Amino acid sequence: MNPFALSARLLLRQGRSGALMILAVGLIVATAALVAVGSFTDRVGRALERQAGEALAADLVIAAGERIPARFFEHAESLGLETAEVISVSTALFVGEESQLVDVKAVSAGYPLRGQVTLSDGAVERSGREVPARGTAWMDPRAQRALDAAIGDSAELGVLELAITDILVFEPDRAGGGFGFAPRLMVNLEDLLVSELLGPGARARYRLLLAGEERALRDFRQWFGQEREDGQRLITAAQAEDQTGLALTQARRFLGVAALTAVILAAVAILLSALRFATAQRDLVALLKTFGASSGRIMAALSLLLLYLVGASILIGGALGWGAQEMIARILAEGPETLLPPAHAWPVLNAGLFTLLLAAGFALPPLMSLRRVPTMRILNRSLDTRPGLSGLLWLLPVLGALSIPVVQLGDVRLALIVLGGSAVLAGLLALSGWLALLVTGRLARNAKAAWRFGLAGLQRRRGGGVVQITALGLGLMALLLLVVVRAELLEQWRGSLPPDAADHFVINIQPDQVESVGRRLRAEGAGNLQLRPMANANLVAVNDGPPPDHRMAGQVNVSWSGELPPANDIVAGAFHGPEGRGEVSLSLMWAENLGVVLGDRLSFESGARRFEAEVTSIREVDWNSFNVNFFILLTPEAGEFLPHQYIASFHLGETVADLRGVTREFPNLSIIDVAAIIERVGEIIDQVSRAAQVVFAFTLLAGLVVLLAALEATRDERRQESALIRTLGADNAMVRRGLLIEYSVMAMIAALLATLGSALTGWLLAAELFEFAYRPSPVLFILGFVVAAILVVGSGWAGNRSVLATPPVRILRTGG
Amino acid sequence: MSASNPSILQCRNVGFSVQAPGGELHILNDISLNLNAGETLAIVGASGSGKTTLLGLLAGLEQPTHGDIWLANSRLNQLDENERARLRRRQVGFVFQSFHLLPSLTALENVMLALEIAGMEQPRQRAEQALEQVGLAHRMQHYPRQMSGGEQQRVAIARAFSGRPAILFADEPTGNLDRHTGQAIADLLFRINREHHTALVLVTHDLSLARRCGRMEQIEDGRLLDHNTQTSEQRLKLVEGGQQS
Repeated sequence: MNPFALSARLLLRQGRSGALMILAVGLIVATAALVAVGSFTDRVGRALERQAGEALAADLVIAAGERIPARFFEHAESLGLETAEVISVSTALFVGEESQLVDVKAVSAGYPLRGQVTLSDGAVERSGREVPARGTAWMDPRAQRALDAAIGDSAELGVLELAITDILVFEPDRAGGGFGFAPRLMVNLEDLLVSELLGPGARARYRLLLAGEERALRDFRQWFGQEREDGQRLITAAQAEDQTGLALTQARRFLGVAALTAVILAAVAILLSALRFATAQRDLVALLKTFGASSGRIMAALSLLLLYLVGASILIGGALGWGAQEMIARILAEGPETLLPPAHAWPVLNAGLFTLLLAAGFALPPLMSLRRVPTMRILNRSLDTRPGLSGLLWLLPVLGALSIPVVQLGDVRLALIVLGGSAVLAGLLALSGWLALLVTGRLARNAKAAWRFGLAGLQRRRGGGVVQITALGLGLMALLLLVVVRAELLEQWRGSLPPDAADHFVINIQPDQVESVGRRLRAEGAGNLQLRPMANANLVAVNDGPPPDHRMAGQVNVSWSGELPPANDIVAGAFHGPEGRGEVSLSLMWAENLGVVLGDRLSFESGARRFEAEVTSIREVDWNSFNVNFFILLTPEAGEFLPHQYIASFHLGETVADLRGVTREFPNLSIIDVAAIIERVGEIIDQVSRAAQVVFAFTLLAGLVVLLAALEATRDERRQESALIRTLGADNAMVRRGLLIEYSVMAMIAALLATLGSALTGWLLAAELFEFAYRPSPVLFILGFVVAAILVVGSGWAGNRSVLATPPVRILRTGG
Repeated sequence: MSASNPSILQCRNVGFSVQAPGGELHILNDISLNLNAGETLAIVGASGSGKTTLLGLLAGLEQPTHGDIWLANSRLNQLDENERARLRRRQVGFVFQSFHLLPSLTALENVMLALEIAGMEQPRQRAEQALEQVGLAHRMQHYPRQMSGGEQQRVAIARAFSGRPAILFADEPTGNLDRHTGQAIADLLFRINREHHTALVLVTHDLSLARRCGRMEQIEDGRLLDHNTQTSEQRLKLVEGGQQS
């Protein structure tokens, strides 16, 4: 019989065997996870490529934290370059009764210098180089949705009232689609300049866009090198792409790691089921050899059989992964308006290749070990060699399969970290699982029949049990972290904030407005109101030399106070009093970063004035108070010579206040709703974790496949045991109880490890990053235990129906 | 059937057949025999003759397709699988060719498991006593893998008789042991038979072992061989009359 006919017969006859099915499911899960992540990242990559050269809307950009002086524009124009100006600022936008934090982008005539904007008037889309006319604004679909706004509505921006004339579908220098922080409002530059939103502290970003001949651009860069002012930096198109791609690269890596854990678990399932299948084929192989079939032909037939499985798995897994990547793209894009380019077929082919490698690495070696089955086995089984893997050759394809993460993540170091991290985590879980099984073994000594039988089953299959507990524990832990711990961390962090933590900031308050603004805000119900002066200064020297860390040099925000502000604790030195002069108090973090200590002298410049202050105290600042806090607090006399404005923070909570009335009375003020920002951050975290959940679902699925593979591998053993205790007089109920106990204990151990692991991770994150004590809720434990019980007991039950149906007479017919 | 030595096992015209692709396949035909309490019976026959199937039927592991079997005064045909299992707990002990101990349990735990399944009081003490009687007092906490074949079979024998069953079925009990060890195991089985008055049904190839039984039945092609070409009815009468073949 030729290998094709033999492999076809094998597939037909063994196709429904549990081991082959599980082998296929393992391959399918791995393919699906790889396709989902591969295809999604491919689409994002192409979205970025599509915008290549347009990522800046220019050839070159100068970015700064202050408005770029006219001489830069003039020089560029003298070189024949086109110029445009862009100013971006985050602020609250009001439409009707709705308000929303938006990212306002004001553009001057000529924008965009490269690429086109796409607008929609609700019916027709148009593209071109266009800027909003004065008195009008364009908003993106997200802003439109958040504000429930329609074309023709009017929006209040600072002191301005703008008519919404178009929907902004696409803007070139917002690469990566709509994965931005806040919804977009695009206005005319002249409008923003008179909106009174651009005071110090407004944190506006200023850009000069340049486009033109290469030679002129080179000349400009050379000139800029000499004329550059503090805080200005040059951005090239390549850098812009790197920058915009960075966030998505991080997302891609995160998803890649998630997919990788699924692939690792799937590999374990593939290996287990292939070993089981190979063991079951030993008699057949010996028989075929006896009939004269050559080893080569048999191996060829088995390889073909595996190839059929891989082919079918790639088709099914590819389809599943395709659906999953579409889901991820939709979750991250928050709707169809930020469409990515359509998915291509090549990531499926790519994933298919990896699946082939995975099969070659983990399924082929056990099958190839059948080559060594001696023909004599047919006469005497004791002459058979030990089944399994021997020799080092099988390591080659395994190493090949392990190279998947390197290619998948595109980063050897990260891949090694992920593999190492997974190995450590899996090792910890395995060790804990093994210890837990040892404990149950001790308990079994004092247990009754069904318990003794059930726990004995766990002891008997301790190795398999550890693999199952580890695989399930990993999958479960990943999902619990994403679904429960993440939400609880965010909620508890919010709850850990002081009840009167500031939830609003007001910037741009002029010194002569301090009293009236304070009065008005208090009248509106503002609690914990703090008004602090703020000025800009340049840090130019530390102890007469340049600052040790040049990144800390340049423009800094400073304030001054005669008394220590709330939520500040002195950790070194003594805070200067109201009478102090020439002293400065630094926040601990800033002092450490800059590398200065008590007694050091800092030199600042503001305008033409240079002044010096000695570090006399270091403060620990509780940023969670959300008060206005400063890294640098000078002595009060600074207010006499530094041009400054005031910034306020206050707590409003549920109080209904007429903040629009405040901005109408003081049009130059910008009120920032911090609660809205926190909410938006929460939404973004939510979005990313929902996307990751899709991938981690594959991890859990892979864990489940490992569980089934291990159950399948021990099915004969369980049948034998079940038959034995039936022979000894156990009825069906007792056998069922024994199996239920075995699965339940395994589920409980996996759940215990997964819930404790995720609670511990949450606690560490909370303590290290957010500085509060995380208390896992009962939901985490209940959910962990219920999910584990359903998965393990359910699959155990489904996988062991045949065990329950095994007649006791089998015990007389087997030599086991 | 005498009152002092009542019948523990009786079967009449028992047959067993299975559906095969070529039609019905008769494995056992017209088997009738009787065994009184404390008696020993050897069933001998070639491979495939049906002796293991007969043992399964007699012990209630499977139901006959024809005829009736009484075990400890219960008619097995009328019991469902669970009821037969409960009957086995109290009345039946088993010894197998390949011992069938649970490898994850110690010798003591293996014996206790059977007692616990039977719901017996003080399983630990009973199991310890049984192991002492088979000479394994020093091996109670050992696992099967730490014991020789002979020792494992002695644990299996302790497990089989620790619940004081009325009848003990042994399927090739010395088949996996060397001659010397097999001899010792056989001695042990017959000692238990004498001391505990436990009826013993032995299935074996080994004629020397079979000859140590009070009676021997030979099975061939699914039928008990009638040395005097009697009909099964006649044979049954002979058996019921206490005659030994």
